Order: sequence, then structure tokens, then C-alpha cells
Amino acid sequence: MSCSVDLKAYAVDELPKNERGVVEDHVRGCQSCREELDRLNLTHSALSLLEDEEIPRRIAFVSDRVFEPRWWQTMWRSGPAMGFASSALLAGAILAHGFARPVAPATMATAQVDAAQIEQRVEAQVNSRLNSRVDVAVAKAVNEVQAKQAAELAQVVRAAEVQRKADLATIQQAANYYEKQIHRFEVASNEGPIQ
Amino acid sequence: MIFREVEDRDLIAKASRGHVDAYNVLVSRWEKRVFNYLLRLVRQREDALDLSQDVFLKAYQNLKKLDDPAKFPAWLFRIAHNEAYSLLRKKHPEAEMTVEPRMAESSGGLFPIESTLAVRSALERLSDDQREAVVLKVYQGFKFEEMAEILSCPVSTVKSRLYTALDLLKEALAPINTGGAPINMGGVE
Repeated sequence: MSCSVDLKAYAVDELPKNERGVVEDHVRGCQSCREELDRLNLTHSALSLLEDEEIPRRIAFVSDRVFEPRWWQTMWRSGPAMGFASSALLAGAILAHGFARPVAPATMATAQVDAAQIEQRVEAQVNSRLNSRVDVAVAKAVNEVQAKQAAELAQVVRAAEVQRKADLATIQQAANYYEKQIHRFEVASNEGPIQ
Repeated sequence: MIFREVEDRDLIAKASRGHVDAYNVLVSRWEKRVFNYLLRLVRQREDALDLSQDVFLKAYQNLKKLDDPAKFPAWLFRIAHNEAYSLLRKKHPEAEMTVEPRMAESSGGLFPIESTLAVRSALERLSDDQREAVVLKVYQGFKFEEMAEILSCPVSTVKSRLYTALDLLKEALAPINTGGAPINMGGVE
């Protein structure tokens, strides 16, 4: 087809109003273009036979506060690249400084002295606290033992007193018995020999 | 249509501030179109549905990056296009996918059911690019400039794909157009 009009653009409604008029004028006088446009329109109509399907399941999203960003996350996300970059830079600088910096001997000596003093102080503190705790624990144990011994002694004394009273009662009974017997012998001797 | 656009704009603004309910309303307006676009590209309902969900999730996550809410349709379909082609690339070895015709979907009296099947079959014979151009133009009503945005290609490429597809479809559907016997699809390729 040698005609220069864009029939397909016309058929799919892509032409502005003025250009549509040009095409319509041309088609009126050009049979081949008219037939071609008819075929395009029929093709368009045939394509529209396919209707849209309903979606099988509705799509919906649920608001879940668990997954919502916290305030600090929001702040962080506002400039994370810059923040991360600066942190990484700082960390790298510290690391490089730690590896590259020579250690001064005087500083080391001072540090060792400081460490020794601190160690002594800590040790003294620990010993002091340990001793006081031991003293308290010992005193408590002694008190407990003494109290227990006193209780046992009191119990023994009470038992001895009971026993003593029981013995006295037995002795008294025996004395009474012998006194009665003596009295009986005396009566018998006064009355003469037994016949 | 103007009111619809304004409302979409409001919903987009609200949704980008984290209002999920506003976003759900927006989804309900666009899900059918996105689903059908994806269905005509990937030709599997489950895939189209899964992709639709992915598309709307990605859209929600990136809504703040949308500079002009008026461009939301093209932006949304751009995401859908990327998702669909990602899947098509994965599935390319099994490109001969089966499409189960749904007999209940005939247009209802004006054309015989064979016509619907013929149209479906003719569309399937097109290349992915050509079919997508037809879907975006004929079924989704996008303009060439919007299609170029969605497909990330020049308008000239869009027109070339669409015009080639229309020529092929015109030949393939000629028996329908002239009211003849069921079409001979051999002429499409």
C-alpha cells in the first residue's frame, strides 16, 4: 500500500483529532485504504471478544504493627547510606590506628605500674572483705555451738535431778523397811523365844 | 474519569504514608486489570495470580519512589511487566504452555464460541513482545508513550511490535471478520 496515512494508529485511537480528520477524508476517496481500515476495525472487534476474567482471589494486605518500622528504624532509614559509610570510615580509622601506631615503652611502663597498683588495691579490698566475712561466719558458728551445748547441759542437769529424787525416794523406802524390821525384831525379843 | 484519577491520587498519597487500608482500596481498583494483563502474558492462572500479588507487594514497598501519582498505572504495569518477564525467562524452556480454554467465557451470542477460541489461539501464536503490545493497547488502553514507559523501549519499537502483531492477527482472524469458516491459523507465522 503506497498511501502515507497511518491507518493502524487511527484504528487503535492514537491519532489526534485533526489527523483523524485527514485519515477519514483520505479513506473516503481510497478504496484499498477503506478496505484495510475495515479489516483493522473488524480485527479490533474480534480481539474484544476476549473479556477480562474475574480474579480468582482478591488481593489484600494486612497491617501488622510487628512489621512496621520503629521510630529509630525510620530515623536510620532516612540516611542509612551516609550513616553506615561514616561508621565504617570511623571503624576503619580506629582499626588502622590501632595497628599502625607504635607503642611507647614509657607508656607501657606507666601502664604496668598502674596495673600493679590497681591489682594491689583490689587484692587488699578483697582480703579485707573476705576476712570480715570469715569473722562473722566463725562467730555465728561458735554461738550456735555454744547455744547447743548449753541446751544439752541443761537437759542433762534436769535428768540428773530427776534421777537423784528417784534415788532418794528409793533410799527412804528402804530405810522405812529396815526400821520396821528392826522394830519387829525388838518386839519379838521382848516377848521371849518362839515356841 | 477525572474523579477516579483524583481519588487514586489521594489513595496513593495515603498509602505511601503507611495506610494499608487505602492501599487495599487502590488494589481492589487495579487487581483485575493487572491480573488479566499478566494472564495474557504468562497464560497460567495460578502464575498470574501469584505474580499479581507480588506486583502489588512490590508496588506498596516502592510507592514512595513514585514521583507523579498520575503515572501510577504505567508505573504499576511496568512492575507487572518486569515480574512477568522474570517468570517467562525462568520458564522459557517450557514455553509451550497449555492453555485451558474456558468455554463459559464466550461473548454471548454475537459471535460463536469458536471465534473466542480463535482469537485466543491467534494471540498465543504471537511472540511475547507482540502479544504484550496488543494487550497493553487493545485490552488495557494505554497510549504509545505509556507503553514505551512500561516496556522501557522507544515509542517506535512499541509501534513496530503492535503494527506487526495487528497484521498477523488481521490475517489470522480474517475468516471471523468475513464471517467464514473457522480460521486456518497456519497463516499467522
